[in-house]
Amino acid sequence: MTNHFIERSQFPALMQEIDGRPVNYLDSAATTLKPRVMIDAITEYYSQNGANIHRGKHRLSDEASNAYEAARLAVADYICAQANEVVFTQNTTHALNIVAQGLALTKSDLVIAGIDSHHSQLLPWRQVATLRFIQTDDYGRIDLDHFQTLLALRPKVIALTHCSNVTGVVHPIEQMIAMIRKQSDAIIVLDAAQSLPHGRLNLHTLGADFVAFSAHKMLGPTGLGFLYANRQRLDSLKPLQFGGGTVDWVDTDGQISRRAPYHLEAGTPAIASVIGAGATFRMLAGFDETARRAHDRNLVNSLLSGAASRPYLKLIGPSDGENRHAIGAFKFSDCVSVGEIARLLSDAYGIMCRSGYMCAQPFVGALAGGEILRASAYLYNTTADIDALYQALDDLAECMGLPTIN
Amino acid sequence: MSESGSFKDVRREVAYAYENVKFFKAHMEASSLQPDDINTLADFKRIPVTRKLHYRRNYPSGVLAAGFTLTGPHVMRFQSSGTSGERLNSAILSYDLARRQATSMSVNVKFNALWRPGARPRICRYAPPNCSDVECGIGLTTMEERTLADGTLVLPVAHDLLATPARMITQALDEIAAYDPEILVVDPTHLAFLVREANKLGRTITTTNTLHIVCGYTHLTQVARRQIRHFFGDETPIGNMLGMSELGYLGFECHHGGLHINNQDFFLEFLNEERETALDEIGELVISTIDDSLLPRIRYATGDLYRLLSNPCSCGATLPLVTIEGRSTHNIIRKNGGIVTPADVDLAVADCPAIDLYKLEQDEAGCLRFRYILNQAPSQDLLTLQQRISALCQTRDIIFEAVDYIACERSGKFQSCISRYNGASHP
Repeated sequence: MTNHFIERSQFPALMQEIDGRPVNYLDSAATTLKPRVMIDAITEYYSQNGANIHRGKHRLSDEASNAYEAARLAVADYICAQANEVVFTQNTTHALNIVAQGLALTKSDLVIAGIDSHHSQLLPWRQVATLRFIQTDDYGRIDLDHFQTLLALRPKVIALTHCSNVTGVVHPIEQMIAMIRKQSDAIIVLDAAQSLPHGRLNLHTLGADFVAFSAHKMLGPTGLGFLYANRQRLDSLKPLQFGGGTVDWVDTDGQISRRAPYHLEAGTPAIASVIGAGATFRMLAGFDETARRAHDRNLVNSLLSGAASRPYLKLIGPSDGENRHAIGAFKFSDCVSVGEIARLLSDAYGIMCRSGYMCAQPFVGALAGGEILRASAYLYNTTADIDALYQALDDLAECMGLPTIN
Repeated sequence: MSESGSFKDVRREVAYAYENVKFFKAHMEASSLQPDDINTLADFKRIPVTRKLHYRRNYPSGVLAAGFTLTGPHVMRFQSSGTSGERLNSAILSYDLARRQATSMSVNVKFNALWRPGARPRICRYAPPNCSDVECGIGLTTMEERTLADGTLVLPVAHDLLATPARMITQALDEIAAYDPEILVVDPTHLAFLVREANKLGRTITTTNTLHIVCGYTHLTQVARRQIRHFFGDETPIGNMLGMSELGYLGFECHHGGLHINNQDFFLEFLNEERETALDEIGELVISTIDDSLLPRIRYATGDLYRLLSNPCSCGATLPLVTIEGRSTHNIIRKNGGIVTPADVDLAVADCPAIDLYKLEQDEAGCLRFRYILNQAPSQDLLTLQQRISALCQTRDIIFEAVDYIACERSGKFQSCISRYNGASHP
């Protein structure tokens, strides 16, 4: 049975063979592959235009500016926001740093963040405030009682992660935001880099103050991220960078800043990437969300059922498929390096997985005690890709002398 | 005819590989061959050569012999970026590695003292990080984490050698002192860098027993040898090792300076396309293992170019004498189509006391650039050096540049001579 959500042929990288084998790409939580529609949009800009945006009145600049702002609209539409609530950044990390540096925090301010946060949702806060972690249970689900306890400490900022890039667990973000709003005026900063790729969200109704996400994790180009916030929140941020594009007027005594979001977008941006992302978001908006979620659920179930029957694998995360995206994290017997497994999967089987700490070292260290192997599936994957992963792992386990299902 | 080990031995290896290795059985059967068909050398040559691609694609389950696991006793696993950028994962039995090492190094009497019954020399490795099988590219790992199954300590080293942070240099020197090795297995360019840095720090490298230096991984240039020799002194044995990550020691430099290849543990062929090369002619080394029960290789094309020499060596060793001519990807192509090997460049540069490091590069368009890093020594010889390089490459169109930094390859190796020219056009 073929269960592609998007045909592989739309992704040139999947059409190649490496050492005579097709590519089985299971590292989409790191970055997704790029569809032809996005590559074409970028190529068209560079081959047919190439001009700067918002910098002049000539025709090429005007056309480039139109395409650029059309992309902002496409992104905003995907998250049910207004165009002026979307800031183009370099990536999620940059977006989170803009907020962390822009809120004028001091070391006496408390920030709480999930222990399963990506380093990009931990380190920016550690620079500017005092950071405490919200604990999870042994399977990576947020401990809401501990969260409640930390709320009582009246944190200034609550840095939440919607979906763990390690376990794929989707946290009960609506419930957590409601808990915050009930007893605190803390600023809520949400890392949605792993959740928005798997389905649309209405950020207006969700209620987080700031939301960060990346284009490259949802079929878009690298080097482009997004920061969502309403205009008042964006205006309240002290810009991280100053320069061209951020001002309406400059004289020898001072300057007048441009309105949001432009005052946070200093310098010539990644114009081609933005235009490419516009094509991607229009593509994503055309998908049937129900079918998309069903596809994701199939992939999750396939990942979980495969892990459950392998005695040589320890699944890091819950064994059920409720509220999670298609990410599977595994630990092997101590005598086997996951880096070696990842390399062998790649070189001998054409299967691309991630190994290491997933930029979430405190969490992975606590839950797994060391490096892990991560398989993350996306719209171009099928359950057959995941079956192939487990067959390859069985093969390797046998070569490593580990107990297999056979 | 090539010098080689016993044909009887390699026939036995073919039969063993056919019976025990899935890939090799399929490889033979694809040519309608069975072990019983291999009765003469001509029959043997009907087996198509095997290449890195075959082993990369089939490792481990397709090339590991039946009955072995990768976690079994004496199995050493490793990953290599490959000199030519061809990744490779492989495994070797520690005693096969030791056997090949002992056979190869037997040609050099200055290394004889290392082999004592029941004792294994203590080895430290200082080499490009991607050649190693532990995380030595970051300085946060411990000595214990970087000690291989056979006891070799892999020293920390940065991917871009000249950008190695000071703390990693100090760490490497401290760990040598703590480990007290008898052998330093090194990439010579790396060791030359380390001793330059040690000199700047006023540090020495001293060991309880005589330290022996084995150079491998990349071409041992005379420039690197001069610096290593000067730092360690004339009494320190220094030998150039021929080797490959997946096979271990293929040969060694004797005490008279000749390179001898190990035809006892390997069956060797030197080929130009399908044709066996004549003595003194350049050919690709094709190797068959002998008594490799873990991962036998039959007619394994190494990609390395050698010359099997006709003259015997004055040292008296029985292992045949060779010169290594590098890889085709390293050879500079002249306008007339002739090639210049890294060995040729090394001969032209000689030990050049004024420079610490050099690199001759040919870009995609065929343009040549020779960069070098000067030291404090008088540099009046540089003009004649440039003339020698121009004469060697048969062109005056070479950019000569004194620089203070030259990057390593992405693999972590520093190649003193490299070409990206495909020969399609020449300026």
